[in-house]
Amino acid sequence: MKEIMLNVNGNEHTLQVKPWATLLDVIREDIGLTGAKEGCGEGECGACTVIMDGVAVNACLILAVEANGKHITTIEGLADGEKLHPIQQAFVDIGGLQCGFCTPGMILSAKILLDKNQDPTDEEIRKGLEGNFCRCTGYTKIIQSIKAAAQMLKEGR
Amino acid sequence: MGIFYRRLPRFDYVVPKTLDEVLKALNKHKGAYRLLAGGTDLIPQLKKREIKEPEYVIDLKGISGLDTISYDGNGLKIGPLATITSIAQSPAVQEHYPILAQAALSMASPQVRNRGTFAGNICNAVPSADSIPSLITLSASVKIRSARKERIVPLEQFFIGPRITALKANEMVVEITVPQQRETSRGVYLKLSPRHSMDLAIVGVAVTGTCENGICKDIRIALGAVAPTPVRAPTAEAVLQGRQITSALVDEAARNAVTQCSPIDDHRASREYRCDMIYVLTRRALNQILLS
Amino acid sequence: MGKYSVIGKRVPRIDAKEKVMGQAKYAADYSLADMLWCKVARAPFAHAKILNIDTSKAERLPGVKAVITGKDFNGWTWGFMATTRDEPPLAVDKVRYLHEGVAAVAAIDEDIAEEACELIKVDYEELPGVFDPEEAMKPGAPVIHAYRPNNVSVEYHWNFGDVEKAFAESYLIREDRFETGRVVTGFLEPPASLAYYDPSGYITVWPAKQSPYFHYRHLAGCFRLPLSKIRVIQPYIGGGFGGTKNDSVAGDLCTVMLSKKTGKPVKFIYTMQEVLTTCRRRHNMTIYNKMGMTKDGILTAVESRVIGHGGAYTAIGPLTMFLTGYGTPVPYKLPNYKYDCWRVFTNNPVSAAMRGHGFTHTRFACDAQMGMMAEELGIDPVEIKMRNAIDNPKPGEVYKAVTGFKVKTCGIKEALKAVTEDTIWADRDKMPRQEGPVSYGVGLSGTAYHGGARQLGHQSCAATIRICEDGTVNLITGATDCGQGSDTVLAMIAAEELGVRYEDISIKRVDTAYTPVDPGSYGSRVTLLAGQATQFAARDAKKQLLEAGAKAWKVKPDDIEIRNAVVSLKTNPEKQMSFEKLTKIACYEGAGAVILGRGHSDYGIDEPLDFDHGTGEGGINFSFTAQTVRLGVDMETGKIDVHDFIIAHDAGVPLHPVSVESQNEGGAIQGLGQAIYECFVMEKGKTHNSTLLDYKMPRSTDVPDIKVIDIITNDPDGPFGAKEASEGSHVSTPPAVIDALHSATGVWFKELPVTPEKIVKALKEQGKWMK
Repeated sequence: MKEIMLNVNGNEHTLQVKPWATLLDVIREDIGLTGAKEGCGEGECGACTVIMDGVAVNACLILAVEANGKHITTIEGLADGEKLHPIQQAFVDIGGLQCGFCTPGMILSAKILLDKNQDPTDEEIRKGLEGNFCRCTGYTKIIQSIKAAAQMLKEGR
Repeated sequence: MGIFYRRLPRFDYVVPKTLDEVLKALNKHKGAYRLLAGGTDLIPQLKKREIKEPEYVIDLKGISGLDTISYDGNGLKIGPLATITSIAQSPAVQEHYPILAQAALSMASPQVRNRGTFAGNICNAVPSADSIPSLITLSASVKIRSARKERIVPLEQFFIGPRITALKANEMVVEITVPQQRETSRGVYLKLSPRHSMDLAIVGVAVTGTCENGICKDIRIALGAVAPTPVRAPTAEAVLQGRQITSALVDEAARNAVTQCSPIDDHRASREYRCDMIYVLTRRALNQILLS
Repeated sequence: MGKYSVIGKRVPRIDAKEKVMGQAKYAADYSLADMLWCKVARAPFAHAKILNIDTSKAERLPGVKAVITGKDFNGWTWGFMATTRDEPPLAVDKVRYLHEGVAAVAAIDEDIAEEACELIKVDYEELPGVFDPEEAMKPGAPVIHAYRPNNVSVEYHWNFGDVEKAFAESYLIREDRFETGRVVTGFLEPPASLAYYDPSGYITVWPAKQSPYFHYRHLAGCFRLPLSKIRVIQPYIGGGFGGTKNDSVAGDLCTVMLSKKTGKPVKFIYTMQEVLTTCRRRHNMTIYNKMGMTKDGILTAVESRVIGHGGAYTAIGPLTMFLTGYGTPVPYKLPNYKYDCWRVFTNNPVSAAMRGHGFTHTRFACDAQMGMMAEELGIDPVEIKMRNAIDNPKPGEVYKAVTGFKVKTCGIKEALKAVTEDTIWADRDKMPRQEGPVSYGVGLSGTAYHGGARQLGHQSCAATIRICEDGTVNLITGATDCGQGSDTVLAMIAAEELGVRYEDISIKRVDTAYTPVDPGSYGSRVTLLAGQATQFAARDAKKQLLEAGAKAWKVKPDDIEIRNAVVSLKTNPEKQMSFEKLTKIACYEGAGAVILGRGHSDYGIDEPLDFDHGTGEGGINFSFTAQTVRLGVDMETGKIDVHDFIIAHDAGVPLHPVSVESQNEGGAIQGLGQAIYECFVMEKGKTHNSTLLDYKMPRSTDVPDIKVIDIITNDPDGPFGAKEASEGSHVSTPPAVIDALHSATGVWFKELPVTPEKIVKALKEQGKWMK
């Protein structure tokens, strides 16, 4: 076992982990945050997307020990208490979700996309979501949600 | 026994602080280790038990300075930990080697590009690796180091077979070196896959070269996913090199490129389709570089 | 839609907030203290006798608490109907497809469970396998199940009208061979379950099921327990689309058995590769289709011979083969029809249901063939569809298909009109046909699907409305929302019927200890059947409330109206009280009362399905879809860029427009996957592309812009006039894409999916490549 420290959603966790445990395993099983999902376990689906030191990563492709000392944001860290982040609110308003399994990863990828590009075109949104798979929606309402979120963020809502 | 593993095999994890420590560890543990850079290839391979289970995973990310991308008048140096994203976003790459940015953005997803590295893509050495054909056309080489010595291998000679490279068990790639290109040189990487992202190349074609006063110069063509390793197409280059460029000549070179590869039939594509696509993409790439 | 307060409104999904916050819990998110992990060990052969299984080494591994094999299930098997229950939880005497489960382990963590599987030693005698159904039907082929010595799982032979006479009198006859691909539902959440067989003999499970009551029955049967001791608690479900999550998987049954043996909770999670290798798939089908027409393009007859690739076990296959024939007489008038089908066992993974069940195969074949015949006859492709399309019956009248089922509303003509008036079709000749190597094409389809599936037993479906004394409402149903949005729709129905606000309704997940039995999510039945049950339950509760209100106001119940949670007197709208007040009056009056409304779906079975002869009513109504597709084909590489989908869908009345659109969009993109991207590549039972990298489902960069047009037909049988949404657009997409590909390339493609390689091959054969 190795000792690591993770800052997840602003909380510091000191953990004893197996060297071969993935960051996803540790976030879900040791810390108990189950918002990040395992879809494929090999970096194809993006359901496990978290933000690590400011960039989107697949938590299934990272060893927990590699993340020692890192700052991680999971979907649970996005809302401000009961107040949803504008991207979350846009997904609710527009209906950018069905089964919800891809939604946490989708929203975190959208956050990174909108952090870098405040006014993305449809094509830029599609490209930004290329690592996040959704089988339910056909992506249409997800793309619309992200456009709506961009508008909300610009208006400072 | 068929087992679909969700967990990685047991191994010990070490994160040395210096390159010397890594190189010593490589010597000591011989083949019982795996080097970890971005992990985007290594982790799935370990999970699926596609590679021998290592005793040690040696994480390179404890060493500072391995993730740099530097450019001077002599060329570009890419550190083994430079991520695919950082290469795509590097102003030097975008200005002087746009083909590399293009190849970088054709790979996987933002999440994977944020972790994965060109060095990893090269050392993983699959025939469809997207970074390799472009680097070959730029005459890139890799700097390889062991505890005892350093050597430089042209990338073209680095690959021995699918997932097999010239690296010895006690060696690692410490730098990818890309020489300065002729000022008028242009490059393009064309990747064909059924979907518009998240696919491996069925065929990848990189072309670098220039056309000065209608004469083709410094033409280099490299092909991915159509042979046991990414390959250069020297006889196709010879068709063009130093000659007055015409559509007919481009077509002849593209047809010649097909003779330079030996694709397999597999679940991704047939040999025949791959050959046909080498012709189509090589022709397109040459047209873009030499005729447009 | 002015007459409704809630129905037809774009309310937020009832589960949206939980989902966007990452708080919605799925099966894999549940854990219990002292829980063990289950792993299934699988066979390395597609067809082999099991000679011996030695688990002793695995049992001795520290941390392993139990190991089971097929024998632990004492001969229990499952499958469709009593006569075809041929599938054991773990293989017993032989394995019939590659990676069928042969043993399972419970250990203190998953690492150890996986290591223990490596230590299980199985001796096999490999048997010759058979992988092609037409080979499997030949005499002397390896026999997969002793009870079906010819490997034919089921066969039906239907004959309506006089096909031979009709063909003899036809002006044009075409015979074509079509193939649909080996595809999978593609849900993102792999099956998982947490199971606890407690010391007093009750089973509690948290499984990823879209039909939790099927699993409940399987558990009762498998463990020989009364249903009252089976508690299935439904987590959120990460996508279903039929097949695997309607059913039980080996892991489900093994976790319960291991929990029984160890006395501890046991959890399993499949990997995606396990899903893509061992779970249910859609039947791929070979369809020999013969179609006759008059000179004017009027359909005279269809004869379909269909071979369904069944894989190793029966599962739901008999129903698949029924539905594959059932959908042929819609949406075009068909006077003579013959259907012969065979579902054939092979040593491939098991085929079962998927969205667009059955219809998708024959509608693809018939719609494409109709396009080919229009071309041969020189008739406009829209015109030929309009000439044959079923008219929308006048209210009170029905259209009766040649097979006997009834259509009460039909929006196909209106849908065809809507999509062909849209600019994508109308201006198709004004758009560039060719740009560089890219050739553009626009295609059209018109198809149908049935909704409100009601097949044979287990139809029961009920709802309870519990009125709280503060004016809010608990809606309790056994229906499962696996993502489609049905919980939202059911809450809207309850709110509309009761006259309260949408946000006053609470609905929770299924818990078989408390919720009423329900068949689950398949056959587009939830909105229609559970919706009707909800409607009835709300009416029952409302009746009780109105009686209490009438007594308080000294009027008749009929004199009172409730709308937007305000209770008023119809004759004097000024006289009002809040809904909350009314509930207090009703609940606190006299000795006190608990207001519970009950309802159950009463559609029942009009005319039972006769699988052998093709008659009966399979659902309560039919949806109709017309679709256009605009795409570009790179004529050198064969690569396809799909630009636009225009989908006009007759969902009767869209109850929740957001969900209707989203379902249409999602169904269509799943259909796009089948049309051009997705297909398992198999070799001797081995799946070569068992990852999301190589099993190519559409990504965000592959999908077109989609416009959905609602066609309103207000069906008399659906609640508030509703019909299904999503299966329709799933069925309409492949033929529309095929038509567009023909328009772009001049080639009729008859085998799905049409990959770039297939396009180049076809163009080469026609001498059109690189010319």
